Amino acid sequence: MSVELRLADLQGNILRGYRKAYVRHLVLSVDSPAAARRWLLDAISGDESRAPQITTAEPWTERRRTCVNIGITHAGLAALGVPPASLDSFPHEFVAGMAARNMLLGDTGPSDPSRWKPEWRHREQVHVMISVHADDPVDRAAIGDRVLGAHGAFRLRAALDGGAFSGGKVHFGYRDGIAQPQFYGVHDPDSRRDDQPFVEVGAMLLGHATPVENVRWEVPQPGVLGLNGCFNAFRVLEQRVEEFEQFLTSCADALLKDPLSETLLPPGAEAQWDPPMTRHAALRELVAAKMLGRWRNGTPLALSPTSPSPRPPMGDAGLNSFGYATDPDGQKCPIGSHIRRSNPRDARTVQRNTNRSRRLVRRGIPYGPPYDPEHPKTAERGLLGSFMCANLSSQFEAIQYDWTNLGLLDPRITGSNDPILGNNDPLFSHFSFPVGKESVTFRGFPHFIHTRGGAYLFQPSISAIRHLALLGSGNAAGPTHGA
Amino acid sequence: MNKFIAWIRRTLRQAFERVLVAFWRRAAPVKTPQPGYSTALADNLQMHMNLVMPLADQTPVGRARAAQAVAASIDELFTGLNNVGTVHFARFDLIGGNLCMFSVFDGDFRAYIRDFISVFGNVFDSLLGLVADPPPSPSALHPEAFIDWIHRHDAFQIPRDITSLFPNEKNINNLSRDLVLLLDANPNVQLGRFSGYPGISAAQIRHNSGLGW
Repeated sequence: MSVELRLADLQGNILRGYRKAYVRHLVLSVDSPAAARRWLLDAISGDESRAPQITTAEPWTERRRTCVNIGITHAGLAALGVPPASLDSFPHEFVAGMAARNMLLGDTGPSDPSRWKPEWRHREQVHVMISVHADDPVDRAAIGDRVLGAHGAFRLRAALDGGAFSGGKVHFGYRDGIAQPQFYGVHDPDSRRDDQPFVEVGAMLLGHATPVENVRWEVPQPGVLGLNGCFNAFRVLEQRVEEFEQFLTSCADALLKDPLSETLLPPGAEAQWDPPMTRHAALRELVAAKMLGRWRNGTPLALSPTSPSPRPPMGDAGLNSFGYATDPDGQKCPIGSHIRRSNPRDARTVQRNTNRSRRLVRRGIPYGPPYDPEHPKTAERGLLGSFMCANLSSQFEAIQYDWTNLGLLDPRITGSNDPILGNNDPLFSHFSFPVGKESVTFRGFPHFIHTRGGAYLFQPSISAIRHLALLGSGNAAGPTHGA
Repeated sequence: MNKFIAWIRRTLRQAFERVLVAFWRRAAPVKTPQPGYSTALADNLQMHMNLVMPLADQTPVGRARAAQAVAASIDELFTGLNNVGTVHFARFDLIGGNLCMFSVFDGDFRAYIRDFISVFGNVFDSLLGLVADPPPSPSALHPEAFIDWIHRHDAFQIPRDITSLFPNEKNINNLSRDLVLLLDANPNVQLGRFSGYPGISAAQIRHNSGLGW
């Protein structure tokens, strides 16, 4: 039994990205539950003059200048007046919250929740995150101010600003956001972006068939609150660019002295790149590509293992039209690289039914100033990332625990962490990739990404927001549109 | 006579202990500590599950029915366990009035049980029809409730460093009140485990032995 998929009832940032240049995430406490519920009702009223409107997934007839979405923590649902029986019907990991799951997520040492930014340390006070997406910073500020001026509804804990870099790049210099799942019943098969298999919409939305055969995730109760909702693991991920770049340099130094590098990158090949590079610079880029699985411009190693600038050039669809079945040993794209661990596509995996089931929608935008090698320590920089799925334990946490760290998906990488995102300790970290019948191994690298905060959020449907808004009014049931 | 006095003393002591534990239980309930995940990757391999499921019918006839049900589905169970991919060993036992499944697997408990549901949940569902107070069925439509139920029936595992459970107990020679209460709350407990090849996954063993994975 499937729930009807009405795009107008879904929050708009789940099944598609807005590709706005500016984002402000308002991390809020509910100050007055009654005022907050009134704001929720205004925000879905269709009347922009009452409150900025929550953006739905309904197709646009014209491009919107701003988009607004809302996520609510378990403590936030309680603060809004959701009764205990309903609160208890949410999955245990959402109830516990991201900080409580830190060991499983690898948030230890510098990423330990006790060292998170102040706004995240008291998780019982983090209730709501309202995200404002805009084409320009003036609109972003205006919408943010309107939310904060909502008659004492919310108290601001932090305003987290992100701004896109040109070419969709992030601080480490990689182009990001290339691979996103396409969903049955949502995306048009005739205008598919790439050749990747479609995914059941139940990978993101509660109440629908999931990619795990026959399995349906339980929907939090009442149905109107849970149906068509989605969970969002929001993370503030500091990116340690200086350490990363230093590591690439040390790897290139080592490779220059290693005869294997001539098999890895035929001498002179770098002169054919666009732009051409010195041998040392090219080896730095090659190591960066081996760690991620893509060159920094987004070109996948699976399709272009020795050049970031294949000829003819690859279009955007080409950047995601590949698999690993023809590269079983990782000669082109290392098995332990970030993108192959996170989404093994058609590669063989130990957990045989998980290739397609652990899918995430990723929305991320950089924060902090771009890295400047001349002034590397000007400020903290990183990524404000949303990792969305229908089941945090089965998808986000499973990837983080089993694949990003531990490397359980393939016996040849088990016992190693993701070289970029993993919870690496220089005493034990190692990253290997094959070169013909031999292999290259780099050791002793640190944790390049530190978690600085985050929360598990529930992104309710529009019907669910109405239900929340009417709590306490005796009118909270709202339309159920068939469970 | 001496035996009788010893019996009286033992009976009185046990009666007193029962009263004392009941008092402790009410006055200072202990929250069962959960085994943690480890940042040492090797510690997250070869995890144990000791599933103890009381049978609804614990008579010889009921136990025979359980033995018959396992025998009838053993091939499907083993095929499913093979397909989960992370399982080292698994076995089914009848111990007293309990149907038990003991297994050694790699990685996260919840991920293991979830894979278990998707691969052979329907077979397991039929076995659970014989168990007292079973979880909602089918497991594929109630995966979280099923996982929680399995977790509740999984024997509590005492870590190698038992004192880590009770950081406030200064004297390790004391029979800790918290330990008594923990055993009061958890009738089934795994006291220790040994591995002849720690830190190696099932797939690594299969891969390195040429068995395929």
